[in-house]
Amino acid sequence: MTWSSPPPNDDTPRANAPNVCLNLSNSAENVLLVRETLTGLAEAVGLHDGDLNDIRTAVTEACNNVVLHAYQGREGPMEVEMYVPRHAVDVVVRDHGSGIRPRIPNAHNGASGIGVPVIQALAQSVEFSSVESEGTGVWMRFATPRTVALESIPEQAPELPAVVQAELARTLGIAIAPMSLARAILPRLLCVLAARAHFSTDRISDAQLLADALMAQTPASIDGNHLGIGVSVQPRNLELHVGPLRTGRVIWRTVDCTVAGLSPVVEKVVSDLGVVAVGSSEALSLRLSA
Amino acid sequence: MAAIATTMPKPRPLPSANDDPQQLFVRWQQGEDQGAREELVRQFMPLTRSLARRYGRSSEPFDDLLQVASLGLLKALDRFDPERGHSFQSFAVPTILGEMRRYFRDSGWAVHVPRGAQERALKVRDAQEHLASEHGHAPTVSQLAQYLELDSEEVIDALQATQAYETLSLDTPRPGAEDGVMTYSDTMGEEDERYELIELDATVTAALKHIPARERAILRMRFVEDLTQTQIAARLGISQMQISRLLRRSLQQLRVLTRATEGVA
Repeated sequence: MTWSSPPPNDDTPRANAPNVCLNLSNSAENVLLVRETLTGLAEAVGLHDGDLNDIRTAVTEACNNVVLHAYQGREGPMEVEMYVPRHAVDVVVRDHGSGIRPRIPNAHNGASGIGVPVIQALAQSVEFSSVESEGTGVWMRFATPRTVALESIPEQAPELPAVVQAELARTLGIAIAPMSLARAILPRLLCVLAARAHFSTDRISDAQLLADALMAQTPASIDGNHLGIGVSVQPRNLELHVGPLRTGRVIWRTVDCTVAGLSPVVEKVVSDLGVVAVGSSEALSLRLSA
Repeated sequence: MAAIATTMPKPRPLPSANDDPQQLFVRWQQGEDQGAREELVRQFMPLTRSLARRYGRSSEPFDDLLQVASLGLLKALDRFDPERGHSFQSFAVPTILGEMRRYFRDSGWAVHVPRGAQERALKVRDAQEHLASEHGHAPTVSQLAQYLELDSEEVIDALQATQAYETLSLDTPRPGAEDGVMTYSDTMGEEDERYELIELDATVTAALKHIPARERAILRMRFVEDLTQTQIAARLGISQMQISRLLRRSLQQLRVLTRATEGVA
């Protein structure tokens, strides 16, 4: 899959790749991953807390629509893209079913139907899109200027890193650029996922240490602008793929890990560490156990 | 005009006619019928409650928020014009949200650590400690959630929040911590040399000298002696959450220090 089409009325170049792209299933517990991603993003670009609250509330409503209404009780994909142009934060929530659409003419049928009015009240502008057989999407723009500069990423949209959509990314696939965003987001996501895998608070903290260690070391090894991460959660186990690794970086762990105290962190924290082929590239493979 | 609603002989209403919001609005706005207003408040309280819950999650005591949201509802009831043909709900949602947003901004909520979140972080810290000593190992998030009657997201938020607070009351020692502190100073000293065990290169060893003694001790206990964070916390008489934060911070410092000495960008 390529990056999806850009939101309408955008003052940024049309082909811009999202800063964050999340691939999830529409289960209710995944909404928390989206919320934590937003919190990490806000932290990285220095958004006002009140603005973050608005964004989190509106995006939660959009995601809840996908969870509750997109697939008539069945499971299906929920995709969330986040863009950080200079003076705004744009979030697109998309499904492959009929998420938000049927709710639009139906916005005054009791408290359960307040999702769309909430989004409209909190976002500066909102667009709904629906393409037959392609699902529905809601694009929200929040006029909240960032206070921390963000490294720009190329306008020409590349493919999603393979690792994001690989078999292993059963629980979560995420692509993030630039790395300063990933540094703020990954520890939060691993905290949520470790909690879901029934890790103790000790091990949840270890998962955050691992995220920090990875983010301190991977950027030089990543091929392209976007860091791709695929995660699978099983009871008492987290499996992670991080990539795509630059060709010739297969020795990543033996060389880079000895630097900067990474080695003890990674070795103490993970139970398996290796390099695997994912698609046409390679990824770091890690397993954490409770 | 105002008299119509009250003086007109009413046909025997259908069971629901008294509850019809359109009629209630006429009775309230034109006849100043308090009963109609109360009925409207009753009908739209679930909406108000739900908005307060959605907007304010995990940051402010719920009762405070509900009060602000209810104020928004009352404003909406007074200002709504039923003749415009929109539903009350589509008018009330932005009005109530607007009231809550104003409250958050006016109360300086954004610049301070939110009270609710801070209190919750302390509760989670204490529960973590209690459950750890009861079970002999650190609890999971769902155990904490069950024990504190919070939902998992609130516990996770609390765990995250403690990472962000620099020196909050989280760092204050608890009763009985003095023993731990003694143990802590006992663990310092020549044992630092055991860093050799992990075969760090010279750069890291040099960088370690710039890390405060207590943090060095924590690093050693975690990565050389292989203690869990909970065990370290018990030894030092501080919370596991604080250990977690100190570990993250000192590893980060190490990375910066080694990068500086190596001249790596």
